[in-house]
Amino acid sequence: MRAAALLVPALVLGVLVSAQWRAQQDRSEIAVRYSTPLTEAASSLQREQDGLKAQLAELRASLDAIGASAASQGGAGRELQTRIDALKERGGLAPRSGAGVAVLLDDSRSPVAAKDVDKSICHATDITDIVNTAWRGGAQAVAVNDERIVGTSSAYCVGSTIMVNGTLLSPPFQVAIVGPQGALLAAFDDPSQLRDIKQRRDVFGLGFRVSRAEVRVPAYSGALTVKRAAAR
Amino acid sequence: MALVLGVLVATHFGSQEAFSRSLQLETPASLTTLIANLAEKNGAIREEIFDLRLRVELAQEAIAGGRGSLAEAERQVAQLRVFAAEGAASGPGIAVRVDGAFDDRALGDLVNELRNAGAEAIAVNDVRVGPRSWFGLAADRTIVVDGAPVPLTLTVRAIGAPEVMETALTRTGGMLGQLALIYPRTRFGTSRESALELPALTRPMP
Repeated sequence: MRAAALLVPALVLGVLVSAQWRAQQDRSEIAVRYSTPLTEAASSLQREQDGLKAQLAELRASLDAIGASAASQGGAGRELQTRIDALKERGGLAPRSGAGVAVLLDDSRSPVAAKDVDKSICHATDITDIVNTAWRGGAQAVAVNDERIVGTSSAYCVGSTIMVNGTLLSPPFQVAIVGPQGALLAAFDDPSQLRDIKQRRDVFGLGFRVSRAEVRVPAYSGALTVKRAAAR
Repeated sequence: MALVLGVLVATHFGSQEAFSRSLQLETPASLTTLIANLAEKNGAIREEIFDLRLRVELAQEAIAGGRGSLAEAERQVAQLRVFAAEGAASGPGIAVRVDGAFDDRALGDLVNELRNAGAEAIAVNDVRVGPRSWFGLAADRTIVVDGAPVPLTLTVRAIGAPEVMETALTRTGGMLGQLALIYPRTRFGTSRESALELPALTRPMP
């Protein structure tokens, strides 16, 4: 009876002890004060980026229409347009769909993850490693959460937020890969590839799954920024 | 026992918060960096929008004036040849020298950082890096780019804004600083180059 009477206060005390411990780890009052306007500014810039990309897509479509019209008249115009179409395909500026593989990368949801949070969450290097394995396996097109990977693409972390192509992304990450399924699956199954990710999956429950799929990869929607390099 | 249970209950819910990736959990310093990166990227897109508007206008004027739009098409081809890594490329940029132990993942991280700093074309030794290039290790542990060996000492050349790329790599806490800690016996060096010549891709694109 006496033990039962102590149960509730002890439980409450346990929760309070933990809350106090976590409060000491929380950011300072000043940091919390500035977080909201900064968060809103970042979200606003991302929304602005989405709008700018839509404008860019419209203008590219306008130029495409002009090019198609010139091509319809034959001769040099048609040859140049054929060349442009091939270069867009090569550079990632045209959508692709077809057989390939889908890779899922996600933070661990397992209770074991609390033992080592850093090993249980996705990092930008995981994305670059997966994309590297995709190209190694003969991929023809790759996108991460609908961000097409091109020759100027980068993935990096700021804090615990990941940016790909300068766009804010958050897990789960769906990596869509168009390419030869057999070779791609062999590349991802190769024990020498993605050892770190596979170990973290096995030990900490990091979400990592590779499966055959029919995938659709959008065209690259960001800026081309070719200012200093010239083709020879 | 109940005390421990209370701590465990609170910790469980705390752990679930740790996996939340909403921006609200970022520090002000990280948020400031994110804002700067987003603003820079948006600025680049705005510049291209402005450029494309002008090009559409000029092309339409040329067509209306009976001159056709070949000039615009040729301009697109020139731009896309660089973007798609077709043919050799030239321009100003930086060279990064890596003299000592290194591996394929570190090389991939270095290329990722150069791209993040706006590199428009990259080569590792005499091997051009393209949109679908991959980095690996041969059986003898030599680094390969698209299957082609790139023996150490590595020289990674990147065409782009020299000051931007060099600053990105050499700033305190930047990529070269991190690599120097991981590979303490390896020497890293950078130089700005006014006229780099990068070879064409040799591996056919799948």
